[in-house]
Amino acid sequence: MKEDLMEIICCPLDKHDLDLEVTERDDGEILSGELVCTECSETFPIEDGIPNLLPPDMRDEAPA
Amino acid sequence: MPPSDPSADNDELVRSRAAVRRTYEDIGDHFSKTREYAWPEVESFVDESSSARTALDVGCGNGRHAELLTEVADRVVGLDASRALLQAATDRVGDSVALLQGDATRLPLAAGSVDLAVYVATLHHLPSRSARRASLDELARVLAPGARALVSAWSTAHDRFDADPDADAGFDTTVDWTLPGGETVPRFYHIYAPAEFERDVADSDLRLVSMELSSGNCYGVVEPEGKRT
Repeated sequence: MKEDLMEIICCPLDKHDLDLEVTERDDGEILSGELVCTECSETFPIEDGIPNLLPPDMRDEAPA
Repeated sequence: MPPSDPSADNDELVRSRAAVRRTYEDIGDHFSKTREYAWPEVESFVDESSSARTALDVGCGNGRHAELLTEVADRVVGLDASRALLQAATDRVGDSVALLQGDATRLPLAAGSVDLAVYVATLHHLPSRSARRASLDELARVLAPGARALVSAWSTAHDRFDADPDADAGFDTTVDWTLPGGETVPRFYHIYAPAEFERDVADSDLRLVSMELSSGNCYGVVEPEGKRT
């Protein structure tokens, strides 16, 4: 994702702003990192350049 | 109480939101290959739209419609619940569309941040009326005053269904997807009666600007209700 997306994305649960933590960047593209809700502290991963902003109840179950 | 009827158990699984997403994870790659071309109704809607700062495709799949939006918008966001489909979209439109994994009933986008949207052939996969209504309200929330969106859903008017298109309500069904190896995956659909589609939109925070039935689908052009430019 590009950093300018921070202007419009928000926490899917409470619609508050997210903080961006970048782990890996390539040129203008954020490849991996985390988005953290400034209100409820829920964290959302960025993997392969795509933020996963699914609410927790729709995420993959942890492997057994 | 545990269900004693295996088909009821399966019905529950197919209906859950997580199950809908997992279905598309399972079939995503194959599905994407069969969804090469944009629908003409979506092309017309985009052709007739004014230019936009930010456009959104809810349920973007492999990006075939988000691709159209890049012609009229500075920035295009494609949202889908399925990472498998988003990976297909990366190959097709990754350079020009911002891809997000997310839920159509809880959009991770700020109020009024979207100037133009399409929500094509996705609403009908949400397994309850409350989920479908929530997603229409969410679309209204993210649309800026004066913004327009195209919403489409499979309709009882389609030849495939032996249903009365003048009925008040549609019905739930599953339509199998056959993978290359022959395995079938059931996909949940709510097939909309046209009157029901109008009613769901009217009951939501969206206002129906116009509606047509085309290729057996309901196509509604909508705008957020009560937001003045």
